[in-house]
Amino acid sequence: MLEIKNLHACVEGEDEQILKGVNLTINKGEIHAIMGPNGSGKSTLAKVVSGHPEYEITEGEIIFEGEDITELDADERAHLGLFLAFQYPIEVPGITNRTLLRESYNTIARENGREELDPLEFDDYLKERLEVIDMKDEFLERSINTGFSGGEKKKNEVFQMAVLNPKLAFMDETDSGLDIDALKVVSDGINKIAGPENAIVLITHYQRLLNYITPDHVHVMMNGRIVKSAGKELALELEDQGYEQLEKEFSVNGEAQ
Amino acid sequence: MSTAVQEKETILNFLDGDFGTVSNIPAIAGLNEKGAGNISEFPFPTKKDEDWRFTDLRSISRNHFVPVSEAGANPVGDISEYYLPEATNSRLVFVNGEFNPELSSTSDIPKNVVVGNMAAYSDHEILETHLGKYTNYDDDRDVFAALNDANFKDGTFIYVPKETKVEAPIHVLNVFTDAEKAFYTTPRVLFVGEAYSKATIVEEHVALTQNEYLNVTVNEFKLFEGAHVHHARIQRDSKKANHISRPIAHLDKYAEYHSYTICLGAKLFRNDPRVVQNDEEVDFTIDGLVLIDGDQIADTHSAIDHRHWHAKSHQLHKVVVNDEAHSIFNGKIFVREDSQKIDSFQENRNLLLSVDGTVHTKPQLEIFSDDVLCSHGATIGHLNEDEVFYLHSRGLTKKKARELLVYAFTLESIETMEVESVHKLLLDEVVKYTSRDEEFVAVGK
Repeated sequence: MLEIKNLHACVEGEDEQILKGVNLTINKGEIHAIMGPNGSGKSTLAKVVSGHPEYEITEGEIIFEGEDITELDADERAHLGLFLAFQYPIEVPGITNRTLLRESYNTIARENGREELDPLEFDDYLKERLEVIDMKDEFLERSINTGFSGGEKKKNEVFQMAVLNPKLAFMDETDSGLDIDALKVVSDGINKIAGPENAIVLITHYQRLLNYITPDHVHVMMNGRIVKSAGKELALELEDQGYEQLEKEFSVNGEAQ
Repeated sequence: MSTAVQEKETILNFLDGDFGTVSNIPAIAGLNEKGAGNISEFPFPTKKDEDWRFTDLRSISRNHFVPVSEAGANPVGDISEYYLPEATNSRLVFVNGEFNPELSSTSDIPKNVVVGNMAAYSDHEILETHLGKYTNYDDDRDVFAALNDANFKDGTFIYVPKETKVEAPIHVLNVFTDAEKAFYTTPRVLFVGEAYSKATIVEEHVALTQNEYLNVTVNEFKLFEGAHVHHARIQRDSKKANHISRPIAHLDKYAEYHSYTICLGAKLFRNDPRVVQNDEEVDFTIDGLVLIDGDQIADTHSAIDHRHWHAKSHQLHKVVVNDEAHSIFNGKIFVREDSQKIDSFQENRNLLLSVDGTVHTKPQLEIFSDDVLCSHGATIGHLNEDEVFYLHSRGLTKKKARELLVYAFTLESIETMEVESVHKLLLDEVVKYTSRDEEFVAVGK
């Protein structure tokens, strides 16, 4: 589904590389977790894949379902079925969740030759999808993330994902700042959405999200590269040992490569 | 040594007109005479005048305007697309400043209420008593109010008697047709609402083509005790037109006056709304929404005068600027000595969509009493890059993202419109304004 090859990227207009040759393959039906210390490039990877204009790809390519999307705009990537759950969801006063989602859903449907939903059909659909994150109808009428608590903002990202039904979602620290109840709702939601036809990449600092969502693959990112990949046991290992051991190991190897 | 005294320019340098003849309506004649004197005496403003520092008046001073009768103006055709369905039979139409009875209809107006043109009510006691009694623009030697005084021979007259409610919104529709020469016109409105009366007024200025003209309006609103007025003002003048507007409201005890001025058209729009509190416990609004692009200039110089206890005032002035357009806001709020318990809100928010747009903003509070709550703020910013990307990443084109964000910015102002079709009209105007193709500027927080 997604193949990232030797991806290098920096902040637009700056020299310092943040991604220094990321290789990653994700197949349909898989859940991946990308872990790593602060500043390792995890969030940058998610933003670069979703097409954030702040970053410039200097080398490598991103292949999504056989198509090179490296040059595509963020909206075009969304039309293909990519989704980014933001680490810090943006507040947009004056535009309701309903308005954004309808515009978004219908644009993606139109671009893919599917039928758009009229307001009544869409309302029914929204209400059904609200169950995924256990939110009330009033949630739809609120301005996007405006005045939301941290937990509500993260739930809203999962809700948007539930509505837009992307093929591949990058979830950037969707677990951070959640209390135990919210974490359960959010991870339940993600589990409900995950299926054989889509793939999910969880970006996280901590293993605690992985108590609720079982990844097929766990990757460790350090210094702009994926330095280790393994099954779900790797997350537990990291929980035990922290990143220090890996840092020692790869600061030497890393520079030498 | 000799000193040369430079002759000051007056507005008469820029227009033709015979201001020697006066109306045969006594209430108007006196104002015509006073105005004729003032326009030959009041100097035309320059950038040296504090109130005109930022305002480029060359679209007036480099032009020459003639009376409508000499302009070779086209007759009006079918203008039904500008009618409001809610005001089918509560509408006054003025074409290039002249009342048009055929296009007007007032059959939904209650019998005891007056909605008509002044000339038809020339001996009405209320007209005689109130016309010209409320403007105070002469105190500032204002040439434009003086021109209106000197030139108007007719106008809109609305009188709502005691404890009467006018259900249908009153649509005062000023249309402007194409003409061979640039003309000037001076619409005038007198509204008198007696005690505990209630009315909604939609005052609209709309050009049928993009021709040059000078539209100088004076509105006088007198609200007696407990009178309620909702006043929407939609300015869709030609983008080559100059519109100078002087609306003033005088509020008695318990009166409520809520006005919303929407500026979409005109090369130059200068609006000086004023509200004067005559007694305690009044509640009023003078909100504004400005959407300008190209080389448009929109200038609001407002003055709110709290003279008694317990006033609640609200002024939200929202501005969107694109291209090389220029917005100016100067909001004066006075709280006189011994007018306590005033709750006054003022905010001017400016959204710049281009790098070449200009915004000048100046809240000006002059408070002489101590138990008041006056909040004020002014912001200028571009579209937020993070917001644009957030919407963009959800599959919306950048254009659509901009449209939604500008829409969201304006919504707060538009939602205050009571008349449904006006609400709809403004939403359409916002879409029209934002649905242009070119790039726009967005910056991070």
